[in-house]
Amino acid sequence: MENWEKLSKMPYKEIKELQDRKLRAFMANQIYLYSPYYSNLLQELKIDPLKVKGIEDLRHLPFTYKWDIAPTDEEPQKAKDFVIRPDEEITEKYSHLAKMSMTGGKAQVEEKVYDFKPVHLHFTTGRTANPTPFLYSKRDLDNIREAGYRLLDVFEVTSDDIVVNCFPFAPHLAFWQTFFAGEQMDVANFHSGGGKIVGTKNLMDAFEYLRPTVAVFIPGYCYYFLREAVKQGRDFSSIKKLFFGGERVPPGLKDKIKELFVQLGAEDVMVLATYGMTEAKVAWPECPSHDEYYGYHLFPDMEVFETVDPETGEPVGEGEEGEIVYTSLDWRGTAVLRYRTGDIAKGGLMYEPCPNCGRTVPRISSNIQRKSEMKEFSMTKVKGTLVNLNNFFPLMMSQPDVEEWQVEMRKRNDDPYDLDEIYLYVAVKEDVDREKLAADVRQKVLRDTEVSLTDIIFKPVPELVKQLGMETELKEKRILDNRPTD
Amino acid sequence: MEVWKKVSRMPAKAIRNMQDDLLQKMVKNEFAKRHPYYREIFKEKGIDPESFRGLDDLNKLPLTKKEDMLPREDDLRHPKKFVLEPPSEEEQKSKKKGFALFGKKEEGPDPKDYKFHTLYFSAGRTARPLPVEYTHYDLNNMKEAGFRAFDILGLTRDDTMVNAFTYAPNVYFWQMFYSTVGIGSTALQAGGGKVLGMEKILKAMDNMEAEVIAAAPGYAMFALQTLDFFGFSAENLQRLVIGIDYAPVSATEKMKKLMESVGAKDNKVQRIYFNSEAKCGWAECEPGYGYHLNPDHVLVEILDPDGETVLGEGEKGEVVLTHLDAKGTTVLRYRTGDIATGGLVTEPCPNCKRTVPRLMGDIERKSHYYKLSGNEGPVDFNANELRRRMMANADVLLWYVEINRQNGTDGLKIVFKGVSGRDEEALQKNLEQEISETFNLPVTVEKNTLDAIANKIGLEKYITEEVVFDTRQE
Repeated sequence: MENWEKLSKMPYKEIKELQDRKLRAFMANQIYLYSPYYSNLLQELKIDPLKVKGIEDLRHLPFTYKWDIAPTDEEPQKAKDFVIRPDEEITEKYSHLAKMSMTGGKAQVEEKVYDFKPVHLHFTTGRTANPTPFLYSKRDLDNIREAGYRLLDVFEVTSDDIVVNCFPFAPHLAFWQTFFAGEQMDVANFHSGGGKIVGTKNLMDAFEYLRPTVAVFIPGYCYYFLREAVKQGRDFSSIKKLFFGGERVPPGLKDKIKELFVQLGAEDVMVLATYGMTEAKVAWPECPSHDEYYGYHLFPDMEVFETVDPETGEPVGEGEEGEIVYTSLDWRGTAVLRYRTGDIAKGGLMYEPCPNCGRTVPRISSNIQRKSEMKEFSMTKVKGTLVNLNNFFPLMMSQPDVEEWQVEMRKRNDDPYDLDEIYLYVAVKEDVDREKLAADVRQKVLRDTEVSLTDIIFKPVPELVKQLGMETELKEKRILDNRPTD
Repeated sequence: MEVWKKVSRMPAKAIRNMQDDLLQKMVKNEFAKRHPYYREIFKEKGIDPESFRGLDDLNKLPLTKKEDMLPREDDLRHPKKFVLEPPSEEEQKSKKKGFALFGKKEEGPDPKDYKFHTLYFSAGRTARPLPVEYTHYDLNNMKEAGFRAFDILGLTRDDTMVNAFTYAPNVYFWQMFYSTVGIGSTALQAGGGKVLGMEKILKAMDNMEAEVIAAAPGYAMFALQTLDFFGFSAENLQRLVIGIDYAPVSATEKMKKLMESVGAKDNKVQRIYFNSEAKCGWAECEPGYGYHLNPDHVLVEILDPDGETVLGEGEKGEVVLTHLDAKGTTVLRYRTGDIATGGLVTEPCPNCKRTVPRLMGDIERKSHYYKLSGNEGPVDFNANELRRRMMANADVLLWYVEINRQNGTDGLKIVFKGVSGRDEEALQKNLEQEISETFNLPVTVEKNTLDAIANKIGLEKYITEEVVFDTRQE
């Protein structure tokens, strides 16, 4: 791990050299020796790890896909093969001389091996019954702490702030990244566990009790939480900053959130986004700005980002749209090479110093089509048309009169062979012309997704909130695919 | 840890002297000076902190109840009155003036020690949770308490653990987390059934080959009893660490048998008693030997639950806490509402030889003592005793009790689900007879489905299951 101050001022050329050096060492000393999956794969493909001279050579390595690592009922232990951990055979092979040393060699070897021992783990957030575990060694916890420090540094949070963490508690990255960030930056905090754990009312009480300056939320729940707070006439005037994480932030939402904060007594709240994934074991901060998007600052000493053509897998150039491919650098525990995230960065990767803050670390465009939270059906054929369901998010979130919404896909008569139906449930503000709104939304859905809605059904807010699982699920169920399979 | 090595071997007399000293300092320098609530009370009652000498003077100090601390409808920040104020600038300046001729000059309190760091909720069943503030200083003490608890339990970095205590911002979960990370053992911070659900927890336990599970007793038992149903094994399991909820010694035997029945070897069941207001949890070396306290952090007294008399060694009574070394939210003679059935003892532990005071027996809930009117007049009904019996019953999977009133007579309705394969009819009859005889109350026993009961008691919904329902007010 490099010093962040130094790293964020380093010219890109030096950063690249650093990455080349780190990648060489990581491939030869960790991946090839200690990662069962990759050492087998490299041997099978007859790839010499010593030939990987730098990050350009990454393109000669195979991709890793989600299904390579996700456990199945037949192979529940699959993910263990991605864990960097020297076993007894290896320690014996490479250190039996050291073990024989008279000056406590054996204990030293044991300590070295202990350094690799996983002590903490997160799961991926899929809907499947088989979530993939990602393990952290003690050393990795220092990495996630450092990443947390960098997040807060970019967001200009200091030890005078008070942070309320409203991510739902789970062995997931979002909650723990926030926790470790607070620990490293030494910021006063309240890790509430979210509305599901402490209840929305108690969480509001905690806001008024603590008077925090920073709040951390999942976007969907935040919107609901703030609207409830407005209804109850709460005072959140202490809030200066708000971070989102856990899922994509639809552009229209930021404005709605700021507006709600004004009603709660907080003027000019800075709304910030993070991008993270369980597989990378950290999250990255978006450069703070009120109206421009400067992208997410990456940590080049911890990972390598590539952007590739999603169809061909060929690398694309700087600033060009492509799928994000992630490679771990200098991690223990679970580590992946060339992991296909399935996330599309519209503005690609940028290596120029940030025009906003001047940091020189690479940046990934703010406009990321995150598929990860609904990978299973992000591109779905409905009524024979390939529909990008992601498009519902910006569309519905930017409707000023819509309080909550949900999309449900069904089959007519629940018959798997019958026609697809797509329903939109909406809860709207009072005294809204429903017919006009319905016509407007119907037209916009047709424009953005190229399907026409079967029906728009109006529902009262509390009912829809319940249907969304806002206070019971880890993430609200925005898009439901209830089509029976044959 | 160095301190612990010393403290856990000190003779009782030395511990008392140390506590005298700490208490005197705490009252004089903290409660009287920096504690908004007690400062007022001291003034009101004319208590002179200068004349306070130590443990013998404790009865001069007022008792505190949870209601005194809870947020008010019109004042959410009322609990702030229990938070120590940092030293004022004047005080800091005055300490810096002048110099010391001999030795190190007394610098005075460090304002950093008083700076708010994190907030936990006290896990109550009250309408509003009680916020308990921790400073860095407190967090370090809690981590130390965690180390001590692991030392007493005999857990090391070679143990793989699943921390299945329900996640909530409280000391139960976090002390466990800091302990596992602190010693560097492999651990899944599962967050309990409410977060992951039983199946995922059991699957993780199986995959990780976990040797230790930390969970609420009811949840641990339920997990072992449903292991088979989900098709997982527990052959690596060696130890259950139970806490958070009522964990009677007698239930540990049933748990050991359950562990045996699912193929676990070298079975051990150990208990921890956590207390939110104490800001730490205390562990027991073996069931029945008592929870080993940290006499340098918190002073524990045992009081008559209905009065203010301090009880003698080994007498059953209410646990009352006074902070001896804490910042943030601090309490003086705080009535926890927990009853220690074996009271407090100060002689060394016959099992592990540590000399710290121990809380003996089971920790019962005061709110589970009811005054009922049965067929033959008034009856003192201790629902804790009923819980103890039901938990120790190997045939009962899940259950709850309702206290109801009909025509001026109180009765119990027990609803249960038997362990699969057992004769539920016979169990129903046995329970009816046993319970009505023991408690001298009219009893009806009904069967219900697993889902219905799990839902009712909030098995995967609440921090701890709720099995006693008083329906008389409805």
